[in-house]
Amino acid sequence: MPVYSVSRRRALALLALSSILLITLDLQGNSIVDGVRRAFGTVFEPIQDSARVVTRPIENAWRGITDYSDLEDENRRLQDLVDQQEGAFIAALATARDAQELLALNGIDDLTEISSITAQVVGGAPSNFSQTVEINQGSRDGLRVGMPVVNAGGLVGKVTQVFSARSIVLLANDATYAVPVQIINLPEATTTTSTTTTSTTTTTSTTTTTTSTSVPSSEAPPLGVATSVVDQSTSSPAPSTSVASIITAAPASTVSPPSAQTSTTINIDNLPATEIGALRGRGPDQPPIVEFVEQSSRFGEIRVGAVVITAGGSKSLAPRGIVVGRVVKIVERPGTAGAILEVRLSARLTSLNFVRVLLYQPAVSE
Amino acid sequence: MIELLNRPVLRLVLLGFVALALQTTLLADMTLDGVVVQLMLCLSVAAGVSGGSERGALVGFMFGAMFDLVLSTPLGLTALVYGLAGFVAGYVNSLTANHPWWLGSIVVASSTALATFVHPIFASWVGVDGWLTLRVVQVAGVVAAFNAVLSPLAVPLMRWALVIRRRARLAPPPEIFL
Repeated sequence: MPVYSVSRRRALALLALSSILLITLDLQGNSIVDGVRRAFGTVFEPIQDSARVVTRPIENAWRGITDYSDLEDENRRLQDLVDQQEGAFIAALATARDAQELLALNGIDDLTEISSITAQVVGGAPSNFSQTVEINQGSRDGLRVGMPVVNAGGLVGKVTQVFSARSIVLLANDATYAVPVQIINLPEATTTTSTTTTSTTTTTSTTTTTTSTSVPSSEAPPLGVATSVVDQSTSSPAPSTSVASIITAAPASTVSPPSAQTSTTINIDNLPATEIGALRGRGPDQPPIVEFVEQSSRFGEIRVGAVVITAGGSKSLAPRGIVVGRVVKIVERPGTAGAILEVRLSARLTSLNFVRVLLYQPAVSE
Repeated sequence: MIELLNRPVLRLVLLGFVALALQTTLLADMTLDGVVVQLMLCLSVAAGVSGGSERGALVGFMFGAMFDLVLSTPLGLTALVYGLAGFVAGYVNSLTANHPWWLGSIVVASSTALATFVHPIFASWVGVDGWLTLRVVQVAGVVAAFNAVLSPLAVPLMRWALVIRRRARLAPPPEIFL
């Protein structure tokens, strides 16, 4: 049986202690460690670039062998999706323009006012545990640590390391990623049939909800497309006695033919109210979750299919309004812990090609 | 110049940079069912097999620290795990007098699997949660199998890097004289 001398044991203990010291320093945010990382990155960058050029043909050949059938399937699926989205896009453009005008009128920033840089994903995660990608833009292009990264689908992650001509992006499904988010239940549009009888003293109203379909998580409509589907099982009918809670599109006194008419009523309780929570990644094989949800009475019950967007705020690294995904599962917890919401990200993090880095920094860091 | 190249430290630094460049470019994209082959870990345990536990620990620490510098994880975490893996590989390999190539492959595979399991455990100790999932089993299996296949190349390569001469290689491991 091997025996180890005192000096060897000392050497091994020294290595272990060095590791622990480095971990402690790095976790506490040491400037020397950051400097060493930056210096190493600067030295390593040209070596890595050279290796990328040399290995690119091998990598392409490998991808050609392993991903060909997947790409064919994806191409077919995407073509279908493009056809579906074309109509919705035109309608959404008009709505977005209206929304921007309203935001501008109220002096509220929106995402279109934030400058961005398009970057290409040039590398994947070298480790099996951290979910990162490497992009081909760096500090010379204006990128800083913490900037949010998006693509056409929505939130992708944030920049965690910046070198002169490349950066590392921590993906939203990484276990160390967290961002404050808002959960928005989709508005419920109810079609009502009103029979109004005008008299000098009283007005009677009969309301009938005609649609009753729940939204299954797998068939959730695409984001940004208006929906008129009502989840009857989870919503309660609007109290017709409360004047404040009902806005009638056409007051009975002005448009009141004596016969039955069809009008649309919007219930304030069913307008897209928002809940605040914290989105946290859980690795590649589990969907991210939203924790610390503060359930307000106005919001009502969170439903599967609710939209999740970034919450913004002075301390958040991401501005408000970036689409994150949809709630696909709600795990109730006893007591005051609140529910945990599993979220399906709208951006496909497994096949990233081009991303957009928003040149946004929160107010507190400026 | 040639004298300089005969120094193990310089050889290890050069080899470390080349391996790290391959790890972050080619191997990061050539995944198998989402699992990335860990060349740096393979070389660390191969150093243990070819040079003994002490050298294995030192090389593992060095390569792990280099890997840490390009990852977003805490600096020192991978160094600790790879150092441990190199040490274990060298220790286990020293338990036998004969060292056929297939035994080296088994030691490399088992040390790799151990390191892959230990990595998320150490990560959770330092506050990086979410790594310890069932996926670790899949990752450990794939990475261990790949490293076992790579070991007939990796062990001689590390022998060259550590400047271990043939006579020293055929001699019993230094641990048993102590």
